[in-house]
Amino acid sequence: MSEIDMAVIKPEMIKAYVWLQISDGSVQQVEQEIAMFCPFICHEILQKGMGSSKNNAICLPQRVSPSLLSLILDYCRFHQVPGHSNKERKSFDEKFVRMDTKKLCELTSAADSLQLKPLVDLTSRALARIIEGKTPEEIREIFHLPDDLTEEEKLEPLKNTTDDPRIRLLNRLYAKKRKELRERERLKNVEAEDEHADEHGDERSVDDLLSFINGNDRDPKEIKTTKNKKKNRRKKDQQKNSLKETSELNKEESNGHDIRCQNAEADRIDDEIDPALQEKIDREVEDFKRILNSDWPKRMQELLSSSGQERKTMLFSTNGTSLPRRRDCMALFSCLYSFFSHMILLPSLTVDILNIIWA
Amino acid sequence: MKRGEQPQSPCLTDLQPDKLSCLPGHVIDQILSHLSIREAVRTSVLSSKWRYKWSTLPNLVFDNQCLPISSQDHSIIKNKLVRIIDHVLLLHSGAINKFKLSHRDLIGVIDIDRWTLYLTRRSIKELVLEIWKGHRYKIPSCLFTCQSLIHLELFNCWLKPPSTFIGFRNLKSLDLQHVTMDQDVFENLISNCPLLERLTLMNFDGLTHLNIDAPNLQFFDIGGKFEDVTFENTFHLAVVSIGLYLNLENEKNRWQGSSSNLLKFFVHLPHVRRLEVQSYFLKYLAVGVVPLKLPRPCVDLTYLSIRINFNDSKEISAALCLFRSSPNLQELEVLARTEEQQSTLGIQAYSREDEYWNCPVVQLQYVRMDGISGIKPELNFISFLLLYSPVLERMTVKPASSNGGSELMKELLRFRRASGLAEIIYLDP
Repeated sequence: MSEIDMAVIKPEMIKAYVWLQISDGSVQQVEQEIAMFCPFICHEILQKGMGSSKNNAICLPQRVSPSLLSLILDYCRFHQVPGHSNKERKSFDEKFVRMDTKKLCELTSAADSLQLKPLVDLTSRALARIIEGKTPEEIREIFHLPDDLTEEEKLEPLKNTTDDPRIRLLNRLYAKKRKELRERERLKNVEAEDEHADEHGDERSVDDLLSFINGNDRDPKEIKTTKNKKKNRRKKDQQKNSLKETSELNKEESNGHDIRCQNAEADRIDDEIDPALQEKIDREVEDFKRILNSDWPKRMQELLSSSGQERKTMLFSTNGTSLPRRRDCMALFSCLYSFFSHMILLPSLTVDILNIIWA
Repeated sequence: MKRGEQPQSPCLTDLQPDKLSCLPGHVIDQILSHLSIREAVRTSVLSSKWRYKWSTLPNLVFDNQCLPISSQDHSIIKNKLVRIIDHVLLLHSGAINKFKLSHRDLIGVIDIDRWTLYLTRRSIKELVLEIWKGHRYKIPSCLFTCQSLIHLELFNCWLKPPSTFIGFRNLKSLDLQHVTMDQDVFENLISNCPLLERLTLMNFDGLTHLNIDAPNLQFFDIGGKFEDVTFENTFHLAVVSIGLYLNLENEKNRWQGSSSNLLKFFVHLPHVRRLEVQSYFLKYLAVGVVPLKLPRPCVDLTYLSIRINFNDSKEISAALCLFRSSPNLQELEVLARTEEQQSTLGIQAYSREDEYWNCPVVQLQYVRMDGISGIKPELNFISFLLLYSPVLERMTVKPASSNGGSELMKELLRFRRASGLAEIIYLDP
C-alpha cells in the first residue's frame, strides 16, 4: 500500500493550482504558473493570499467571461514558456488574433482588466489594423457604431475638426468681419457716386417706419425688432452716409451674430446641436454671405425671394442705383418682416435697435 | 432629422452591441496611437461618442503621411499643414507626451515658434523637430525653459539659448543632427543636463572641441568635423561610436610629439562595451606615441568596429594595441579606407611580423572584413587573425572591387587557421 502511495505522489507531478471565480459564478482551477502570468492574479495571490482553495477563489473582474478566460489562458500558456523563439511567438500572436471583431473588443477589455499588457498591446494593434484605411461607413458597419452624426459627415476627414460648433462660430465671426470690412470699402466707393439721391428717400423711409410702427396692431416688440432689422438692411442697401452705415452695419452684424449665437447657444446645452436648426443656421449664414457679396439689386431679389413674395419685380427700376418708392417700401417691409419672423428674437435687443432708428 | 437614440447601456444591448466604444480610455488611446494622426482624427465622424475620443491621444506625429494629397505647389501643402496642426493642437485635450514634426514641405514656417510655446506649456516630454530643407531653423527661446523634456531630437536647427538657460533637468536623450551651435552653448548644454544618458551628434557647425562631461552618459554617437574629443566622468559610457569626417593629413605637424591620443581617449572609458571607430578617427587616435597596450584593459569590450588605412603603420599599431587591451573581444569589424589605399606607399607597411606575435585574441568569434583589395598588409592582418583566434566561427570577407578577386581567394585559402570551426565566407563585391 505504502509503496503504491509513494509511487503515485512524485514531486514533479505536484503542480500548484489556483482557484478562479468567474463573473458567472463558476469556479475554475488553473495551473498557478500560467495564471501568474496575469499581473492581476499575481497580485491577488501574493498580496492577498487568495486562490488557494475553492472557497477562497480569486474573483476575476466582471469583464472576463468563461470563453474569454480560456482564450487568455491559452495566451498565457504559450507565452510563459521561455523556450519559444521570437518568430514562434509572433506567428502564434498572428494566429491568436484571428477572431471576429466583437470578440476582439471583449478580449481587449478582459485583458485590460487583468492588466495583461502584452495581450492588450496585441489586441489593440489588431483593432488598429482593422480600423486603418477604411471609410467611416465601413468602420461603423464593422463595429456596429450608431450613425448619429449625420450632417457632420464630410468627405475630407480632417476638415471635421472645423465642424466643432465653437470653431464654426469662430469662422462665422471672421467671415462676417471680413465681409463687413469689404462692404465698408465698397459702400464708400458707391456712396461717392450717389450723394444726392439719398437725402429725400431717407426722410421718407423714417416716416414710413414711424407710421408702420404706430399703425400696426401686431406685437410691438416683434414689429420693432423686425422692422429695425429691415430698416438696417434697407439702409445699407440704400447706401447712406458711411458713418451711420458702419454703425448700423455693426449693429446689424452683431445683431445677426448675436441672434444666431443665441440660437446656437440655446440649443447647445450638452455641446450638441439639433441638426435641423444647425442646417437652418448654416443655410442662413450662406445666404447672408451670398447676399453681402452680390450687389444690391440682386440682394434685394434674394431677400424677397427668400421670403417668398412675388412682387419682387415691381420694386426694381431699371436703374440699379435708384430707390424704391414709398409704397414699394411698405411692400418691402412686409416681405422682410415675414423673412425675419421665423427667427427667435430677444427683447433685450429692442432697446438698441430703437436707438438706431431715432439716432 | 432626429439624432440617433442613445441606448441606455449600450454595452449590454443584445442587438448590435457597440463593444468598441465601451473600452476604457487608455485602451482606445492605445488603439488610436497605432494609426496615423489622420486616421485617428477621422474617427471623430464615426459616432457621437467618438467625437472627441481622439483628443486625448498622447503622441502627435505629423509626418509625410498626414497629408495624403501631393501637390506641386508647396505653399498649398504648407498652408494646409499649418491649418491642420493648428486645429489638432487647439482641439486636443489631456497631456501631450510626444510631438513629432517632420514634413518635407515644412520650410521656414514661423508657426513652429508658436507651437513650441504651446507644447512647452503642456509639459511635453518628447519633441522631435525635423526641418527637411532650407536654412537652419532658429529654435525659439521658450523651448529652453521647458523642464519636462525627456527626449529632444532636432534636425537642421540653430541652437542659441538665452543667457538664462539652466539646462534641461530631466533630459535623458538628446539627438542633434545638422545643427549649428557655439562651443560654450554645447558645453553648457551637456554639463547642465545631469540625467543625460544618450547623446547623438551628427554634422555640426560651430564646435571644434568636444568636451563631454556627463556622469550618466551611456550611449554616445558622434560624426562630424572636430579637432579633439575628451571625456570627463563618463564612467558609465557603454556604447561609443565616433566618426571624424576630417582628414588630418595637414594637421600632422601640429601633433608631432604630443601625448598619445589613444591613452587620453581611453582614460575615462573603462566600461565601454561597443566601440566604433569610423572615418578618420583611428588616424586621430594613432597620433602621438602609440603604446603597445593600454594601462587598463577594456574588459567589457565585446564589439569593435574600425575603419583603417592598412597602409598607415601607425593605424595598424593602434588597432593592435586595441586588440591587446581587449581580452573579451567577440566581434570584430574591419573596414578598409579604400580611397587611401589606392596610393600604396608600401614600404613600411608589413615588416612587422614580430609585432603580431604578442597579440592573442582569445574570444574572437566573428570577423567581418570589408573593402579588402588584397594588398600585403591586409593579407598579413587576415592571416594573423586566423592564426590567433582559437574560437573563431566565421570570417566574412568582402572585396572592394572584383579586380584581383581570384588572387585574394587563393591567398585566403592558404592561411592557417587556429580554430577548427572557422568558416571563411567570401562575398561578391
